[in-house]
Amino acid sequence: MRPLSSNPRLPHGFSTFVKQKTSKRETSVEKYILEMRDITKTFPGVKALDKVSFAVKQGEIHGLVGENGAGKSTLMKVLNGVLVPDSGTIVVDGVPVTFRNAKQAQACGISLIYQEFNLVNTLSVAENIYLGFLQTGRAKFIDWTRVRADAAHLLENLGFDFNVREKVQNLSVAEKQLVEIAKALSVNARIIAMDEPTSSITKKEIDKLFSIIRRLKERGITIIYISHKLDEVMAICDSVTVLRDGHIIDTKIATETSSAEIISKMVGRPVDMKYPRRPPIIHDEIVLEVRKVSCAGFVKDISFSLKKGEVLGIAGLVGSGRTELVEAIFGARPLQGGDVYIHGRRTSIRNTADGKRYSMGLVTEDRKETGLALHYSLADNIVITNLQKLCSGIFVNKKLMQANVDQYVQELGIKTPSSRQAVMYLSGGNQQKAVLAKWLFSEVEILILDEPTRGIDVGAKYEIYLLMNDLVKKGKSIIMISSELPEVLGMSDRVIVINEGRKKGELCGDAISPEAVMSMAIQ
Amino acid sequence: MSLKPGIHNFRTKITKILRSQGVLIGLVLIIILASILERSFLTVSNLLNILRQASALGILCLGVTFVMMTGGMDLSVGSTVSLCAVVAVSIMNKYGQGTASNSAALLAIFTVLAIAFFIGVTNGLLIVLFNGRLGETFIITYGMQIVIAALALLFTGGQFIAGTFGTGLYQWMSTGFAPIILFLSLALIMHIVLAYTPFGRQISFIGANMDCARMSGIKVSGIRILVYGICGMCAALTSIIVTSRVYSASPLQGNGYELDAIAAVMVGGTSQTGGTGGIINTILGVLVLGVLGNALNVIGVDANAQLLFRGAIILVAVGLDMWNKSISLKESAK
Ligand SMILES: Nc1ncnc2c1ncn2[C@@H]1O[C@H](COP(=O)(O)OP(=O)(O)OP(=O)(O)O)[C@@H](O)[C@H]1O
Ligand SMILES: [Mg+2]
Repeated sequence: MRPLSSNPRLPHGFSTFVKQKTSKRETSVEKYILEMRDITKTFPGVKALDKVSFAVKQGEIHGLVGENGAGKSTLMKVLNGVLVPDSGTIVVDGVPVTFRNAKQAQACGISLIYQEFNLVNTLSVAENIYLGFLQTGRAKFIDWTRVRADAAHLLENLGFDFNVREKVQNLSVAEKQLVEIAKALSVNARIIAMDEPTSSITKKEIDKLFSIIRRLKERGITIIYISHKLDEVMAICDSVTVLRDGHIIDTKIATETSSAEIISKMVGRPVDMKYPRRPPIIHDEIVLEVRKVSCAGFVKDISFSLKKGEVLGIAGLVGSGRTELVEAIFGARPLQGGDVYIHGRRTSIRNTADGKRYSMGLVTEDRKETGLALHYSLADNIVITNLQKLCSGIFVNKKLMQANVDQYVQELGIKTPSSRQAVMYLSGGNQQKAVLAKWLFSEVEILILDEPTRGIDVGAKYEIYLLMNDLVKKGKSIIMISSELPEVLGMSDRVIVINEGRKKGELCGDAISPEAVMSMAIQ
Repeated sequence: MSLKPGIHNFRTKITKILRSQGVLIGLVLIIILASILERSFLTVSNLLNILRQASALGILCLGVTFVMMTGGMDLSVGSTVSLCAVVAVSIMNKYGQGTASNSAALLAIFTVLAIAFFIGVTNGLLIVLFNGRLGETFIITYGMQIVIAALALLFTGGQFIAGTFGTGLYQWMSTGFAPIILFLSLALIMHIVLAYTPFGRQISFIGANMDCARMSGIKVSGIRILVYGICGMCAALTSIIVTSRVYSASPLQGNGYELDAIAAVMVGGTSQTGGTGGIINTILGVLVLGVLGNALNVIGVDANAQLLFRGAIILVAVGLDMWNKSISLKESAK
């Protein structure tokens, strides 16, 4: 039942009047601060939203979940004015509105944390946060002291520990995400939509974010929360809406449902949420040995080895040096000490081409900057890691290319109208699958995965775990970094823990437990 | 709120055609207009003439296209043409008398190819050393342009060199179909390389996202160096055709060629940020500017007014490119 107050025909003042009357009479009916009615949005070849009606109550935390490509981000971009719907209306606080751009939406009190970061790499953190709202002093010049002070104050309030003068390009993905969050919170919004705000931050920051969200809720601010991490959704949300293939499936009160029910609504069938088992490693051969490697100034003396057919997890907090370590091994950043041995032979890897020659591949954590060429097609992106594989003579064989690309698109379930689609038009999770496909295609022996399941839905995650198992069964080896501890623990044969650039320990078999890892990661 | 679907579709279709085929449409329009205004424009001999004239700059444009596909820029090609011109004609004058002309021509051609390749590779090395993006490639090759221009002037003592060598291969390079065939066959080869070989696809990918290319295990530095080398060699070939036609060489021979080439490449639709465009685009761009120049000549437009048209066409083309980009940006919508 829609409350009377949101009738779009009523003038603003009148509707408030009606609202008061109804709320006095019927306290159980809460006011909808936002209603999106019959929103339809089509892209060439895709109906992303099909008559979606979505309502959010004042002051609630409303979860929005669905598979990759279900239309969550599209719905939020419509709300935010970035996309104009083909049809449908948006009603905010009882008043029908149309936004032509994000600025208008912001003026109406709507703010969105984008799934794909929207930051200017060459500018500082402070500049990015206040981009477009830079404080000017008396003479109309930008008052930098004030901008920086404001930014520092904001970040401090949020509990994020940052240098506001740092250029965004020097930040890790997790830090970029925190800047993105801060940016959305810097404007005074009534409705804040968060599109996968925790996809690349760890438990510590997630907890901080949650306390922020709860504080916002106390202040009566409404939150729309999109995430593939259902435990988070169940923990923080008051109600949850499930979207599938551009249709609303259901809206549930969080306390009256369970993760399992939500998942089955998302996917359309029950899904096994366990980590798939695999037989123990049968090989003893060591394919990669890292001895006393130092890099990036703060990662020091790290040694470990990787066996054939093994999944080695690297655990640690954000900023502990995990990414830097694997980048150095792969050749993407210089080694400042130590050696890397492959199949027992010492290597001198100076660049990524060398790394690839030694049959290593690295799925990078930042799909937008280093993972994909966004305006190139899905096919072009997938095959770039191993064009030689597609050559007949000196030419790239288009047929072979198509066949290979189709295979990976299908194996990973990448949702796209065609493999010729530019990857920037894919949904976030599908972009992530494209980065994975790229390195699966290259058929390297040692696959390094840095946050491989970032932004990927539960069903597809399981598929990826199966794929990993398949790879190790074929004798390949995997190094996996993930901020989701359960994932590292569930998938790894062995785990090493890194803390502030140092290796703090190594766990295998039954010794692997969340407590053991955490105590090493934060000691 | 939204447009009626029918109108909307029609409009997007028109926009799409304009966006993708704008240059071709422009070329056809210019040809139609010129042939209406002046009968003698649309004759075989005039069209061949256009092609012949466009070939020299066209070859240079092919090299510049490769560079621009990687997201770079090469401003040194103009003075590379100058240096190669004076060196080649000097060699011809010295060794190419009478019957020795043909072997001297080969010597001259290979010498200037080697010199230009060396200049290009030096550009590439410096750029890679500084891990340069568009801005750095600009300034580094600009510096190189000045250095090479000075070398050309020093080489001749600032003097113009008249040709005194015998007829033969060297002069044949600019007569009849030779320059056209040279240009088109080189274009064909470079098109195939760019579009169908791993090397070419990596060139484009570097332009599309250099960091991603690097993380994909592509030898970014090596490819970039080579691409500047190739661009230099194209400048050498241009210098041969030009000096062969004018039977002389000036140390200022290639002055301004770099901008003409960049303009033609951009008019064709290869974007300066890299990754989009290609050889076919460049051929179209070269033809548009070539046909326009000839048409204005044939019609009898005053030389100064011709510049006006030329400038306008370049601005329109760049505008089209920006429009194109802003639309695809909007479509991607973060
Ligand atoms: N600009 C666009 N052009 C073409 N298709 C698009 C565009 N944006 C989104 N799509 C398509 O619309 C569908 C919905 O995408 P959307 O980004 O909303 O998914 P999502 O639910 O946010 O998924 P994820 O969990 O992967 O982020 C996808 O199939 C996507 O490919
Ligand atoms: Mg999304």
